[in-house]
Amino acid sequence: MWKRLLADIAELLGEQAEYRELLYRMTLRDLKLRYKQTLMGVGWAIFTPLVNTAVFSVVFMRVAPIDTGMPYPLFAYSGLLAWTFTASALRFSVTSLTSNANLVTKVYFPREIFPFSAVVVSLVDAAIASVVLAALMADYGVHPTPTALLLPIVIVVQVAFTTGIALLLGMGNLFYRDVKYLFEIVLTIWMFVTSVVFPVQLVGGRLGGVLALNPMTPIVDAYRQVLLQGAWPGPAFWITAFVSVIVLAWSWVFFHRSEFEFAESV
Amino acid sequence: MGNSVVVFEGVWKKFRRGERHNSLRDLIPSLVRRGSGRSRTDLESASEFWALRDVSFEVAPGEALGIIGPNGAGKSTVLKLLTRILKPTRGRCEIRGRAGALIEVAAGFHPDLTGMENIYLQGAIMGMKRAEITRKLEQIIDFAGVAEFIDTPVKRYSSGMNARLGFSIAAHLNPAALIIDEVLSVGDMAFQQKCVDRMIEFRRSGVAIVFVSHNLQAISTLCDRALYLKGTSEASGPVERVIETYVRSMGSPHRSNAGDLVDIVNPTLVNSRGCEVTVVEPGARLTLRVGYLPQTTVTDVTFGFGLIRSTDNLVVYDGSFTSQELGIDPLEKGVKRNIEFGFQAHLTRGQYHVFCNVCHNPTQRIVRASPVAVLSVKEQRTWMGVADLNVVPVVRGRQADVAGAFALGYGGPRKRESRILDPRPASSAGQA
Repeated sequence: MWKRLLADIAELLGEQAEYRELLYRMTLRDLKLRYKQTLMGVGWAIFTPLVNTAVFSVVFMRVAPIDTGMPYPLFAYSGLLAWTFTASALRFSVTSLTSNANLVTKVYFPREIFPFSAVVVSLVDAAIASVVLAALMADYGVHPTPTALLLPIVIVVQVAFTTGIALLLGMGNLFYRDVKYLFEIVLTIWMFVTSVVFPVQLVGGRLGGVLALNPMTPIVDAYRQVLLQGAWPGPAFWITAFVSVIVLAWSWVFFHRSEFEFAESV
Repeated sequence: MGNSVVVFEGVWKKFRRGERHNSLRDLIPSLVRRGSGRSRTDLESASEFWALRDVSFEVAPGEALGIIGPNGAGKSTVLKLLTRILKPTRGRCEIRGRAGALIEVAAGFHPDLTGMENIYLQGAIMGMKRAEITRKLEQIIDFAGVAEFIDTPVKRYSSGMNARLGFSIAAHLNPAALIIDEVLSVGDMAFQQKCVDRMIEFRRSGVAIVFVSHNLQAISTLCDRALYLKGTSEASGPVERVIETYVRSMGSPHRSNAGDLVDIVNPTLVNSRGCEVTVVEPGARLTLRVGYLPQTTVTDVTFGFGLIRSTDNLVVYDGSFTSQELGIDPLEKGVKRNIEFGFQAHLTRGQYHVFCNVCHNPTQRIVRASPVAVLSVKEQRTWMGVADLNVVPVVRGRQADVAGAFALGYGGPRKRESRILDPRPASSAGQA
């Protein structure tokens, strides 16, 4: 079993290396199309988290003030930035295989390319939106400390986790179209059980205990810790990191093994 | 085998009939059913079928295999297996080296991207590296003939330009094996000729080719060997022989064709000695005997007779004769009339079939019978074409030859049945 697993992993990595040009081209295609056809172009990447930040700032600073241990707009924007990356990557991935059905049924190449490019496109958006975070940090006089050097690790963990889920969702929607609708509901709930616009630790009680199992919370928190608080991410993050790698590896192998059924199921 | 590039070995492919459960609503009942003890094999046999049963073939470098067969014979399945879109249920299917596919050559195009952007995208989909595309960029654009519009989004392209660009990208891949599906019908005549030339060039440079087409004429031009597929391998071998087998199996002659107007009865194709024939030499004098049995008394009818090349449905002849001309007007109910259509088969080698019909002119009602006979013309001289022009080359200039030019017959010196009916006597060649 291990032998087959290793052979599969070698094969899927080999294929990615062979088709790396395609991942680049697919990503470029999606980015170009978005920025070609929209008036605001790059602006949309910034606009969405910014509007959300403004809305939640009113709610949690004026209506129901909460203590987040840092200026609230900074808390909300950093949370929304990280969350938007995962959410939009998954949203694109869900339909990435079904909306490219003409390619899936007609030409062979590693199908992972579709969810992968959805993740990369969202990552580019997040990079653009992070400019606003830098501006907010400067405005509130929050300076990065040496722990900011851990940022790449946090990003890698989030990308790994997101990609793993993206593969499963894309594949799931191919076999059962309900996945798309179910996912929309889950995504809305998921945001409010993650420390995006308020620290989910505030929930407490038995529900709080359940919510602590959500792997997105340690990831979103880790961004604030390394960037804004100058602290090391806690043990929950490192457990999440480990789990994310397992999730990615498992879902990728699973995806790869089911790949040949895609053309028959679209 | 050994050096074969394309290996297809004992391949079986099973498909599910109809839709798979595509929503959870369908999944749950099916799970319940499965759980409730109904045996799985029962379900499978009812909803699954074999698209391919034990199909094997190999293609060596520089060889071209044509795959022919009726619709639903599994030709597309073979292509999808070769291009790795599908996996065989049983057996082995492999291409050693890079596989190029001239199938859906523009599948990866995005209408909003420019021609240039799409070249890189489609190239990457086909597995080309950036450097490779850049190196061949000029050739690709040139071949497609879209240089002026290369920075225009492809949604502004005509469908011909679109297909030409797609084909051009695929044609500049460096494959070990090339899989072609009917794409030679892309673009205008000039472009089609370029495509055919490109295919021949590929073959000469040692690319193994698998070509699927309904155009048997194109298959016989491009391929050395053919495979006649109908779920399973019906025939394989030299291309001419397989095509003949296929054409024969497609159109078994109709012995009668009942209509409420006139029945066409017992059509038979005979030679000048009155024997039924299916294989003839060019120029053979033939007769189609047809019986017509009117169901009612009719006047003003037309009798049609024609000949079609089976390999590409080219209508070689389609003529009609009115009942007045033939002096059988009116046709009385129940009185059978026989008409003999005598004709001369000035045809080159290939597969043909004969049809006939009856048309009632006032109502435009038509009774057709096709094919009523099949015909193979055998000869070795011509390469392509359809009409036997009775070409007579004459060598001039030397004293000894002036008296009698040497006229060549088809396939060497042999007596031709048609000679006596030749409008021009053989000796006239020398006097001309």
